[in-house]
Amino acid sequence: MDRPEQTLSAVLDAGELLLTSGAEAARVEDTMRRLARAYGFVRADVLTITASMAVTVRTADDQVITQTRRILRRGTDMRCIEAVNELSRKVCVNPIPPEELHAHLEAIRTAPDKLRCRLPLAYLITSGSFAVFFGGTWRDGIAAMLCSVLLYVIGVLGDRISLQPLVLTMVSSAAMCTAAALTVKTGMGQNLDYIIIGNIMLLIPGIPFVNSMRDIFVGDTITGLLSAFEAVLRALAIAAGCALVLMQTGGGAV
Amino acid sequence: MTGEILLQIVMAMIGALGFGLLFHISGSRLITIMLGAAVNWGVYLLAMQWYDNRVTAFFVSTLATAALAELLARLLKAPVITLLVPMLVPLIPGGDLYYTTLALVQGDTAGFARYGTLFIEEAGAMAFGVILVACLVQTLGKLWLLHSERK
Repeated sequence: MDRPEQTLSAVLDAGELLLTSGAEAARVEDTMRRLARAYGFVRADVLTITASMAVTVRTADDQVITQTRRILRRGTDMRCIEAVNELSRKVCVNPIPPEELHAHLEAIRTAPDKLRCRLPLAYLITSGSFAVFFGGTWRDGIAAMLCSVLLYVIGVLGDRISLQPLVLTMVSSAAMCTAAALTVKTGMGQNLDYIIIGNIMLLIPGIPFVNSMRDIFVGDTITGLLSAFEAVLRALAIAAGCALVLMQTGGGAV
Repeated sequence: MTGEILLQIVMAMIGALGFGLLFHISGSRLITIMLGAAVNWGVYLLAMQWYDNRVTAFFVSTLATAALAELLARLLKAPVITLLVPMLVPLIPGGDLYYTTLALVQGDTAGFARYGTLFIEEAGAMAFGVILVACLVQTLGKLWLLHSERK
């Protein structure tokens, strides 16, 4: 095999894209193992935890190569997961040159979103509907939507200055509670609790939690524990942010 | 009562749609997720009628949703979590997290203990449901492999 380093690097690109899009560790490892085998490595040892990936492969002429990747930020992008999944299935049948694989992955990662205002729209829909879902009135729903706009803006700003996710969660939660209290104060919203809950649903770490449970029970204990702990910390950060504001208002409106 | 149930189910569906958008799910998959969320909340309400216990109802509903997600994932050839997580969204105990915090801030120790326990129990029930179905599917998969190898 020529240039095994580049090949391994392209395989890691696939794994990295999966992991940063929120795939389970088992899927990431499985995909990389399959890709490595498809490219003709005789042995591939893969370890993925939420923060790092390490792959050691052995080529047919007994050369051993190790590469690692540090993972700093994870999000949730199901479109990416599915696209990489499909690509890897194709590549396993017909291994394309590593540069081409790299280019395909880059294309998936940077593919423009068809729905340009996807995130703001998602925030509005989610917060509004859950405020009503939990028992709020229509006016509460609209007030929750207003607060979610603030939540979105803070999220974008926080991302831009690369704020620590935990700090960002706490700041968002505190700002959102303040905004919710203000909407009630001005008579716009009626029930403070439902307005806040509708927005909490946007912050709450559902994905890491469900993922971590699945991880633990397919044998990826370290990964699972890490993301489970991350989820607990996020929940605590939400509670802390709310508590900061509620302490000032005494739990009622401003 | 019926109106309230309908409203809840419709709102659960719209909420799931929002989460679907948030997770970059697109096209017909969004409709699948909305229907899944409706099933999720419907089963919860039924289980609530039957057992009159929120934690049990959470568990039963998670079991049903996870089984449905595994089945649909195989039919649609999609990764399981892309369906499972948005479909479970109506069960996320956001309300109890808030009431726990509120009780803590107000110095209501009894309320804090009650809601805090409820939050942990509900999250635990969801986790247990997800795990149980994942284990079952894995076991069935292995058995199926064994069966087809023998042929």
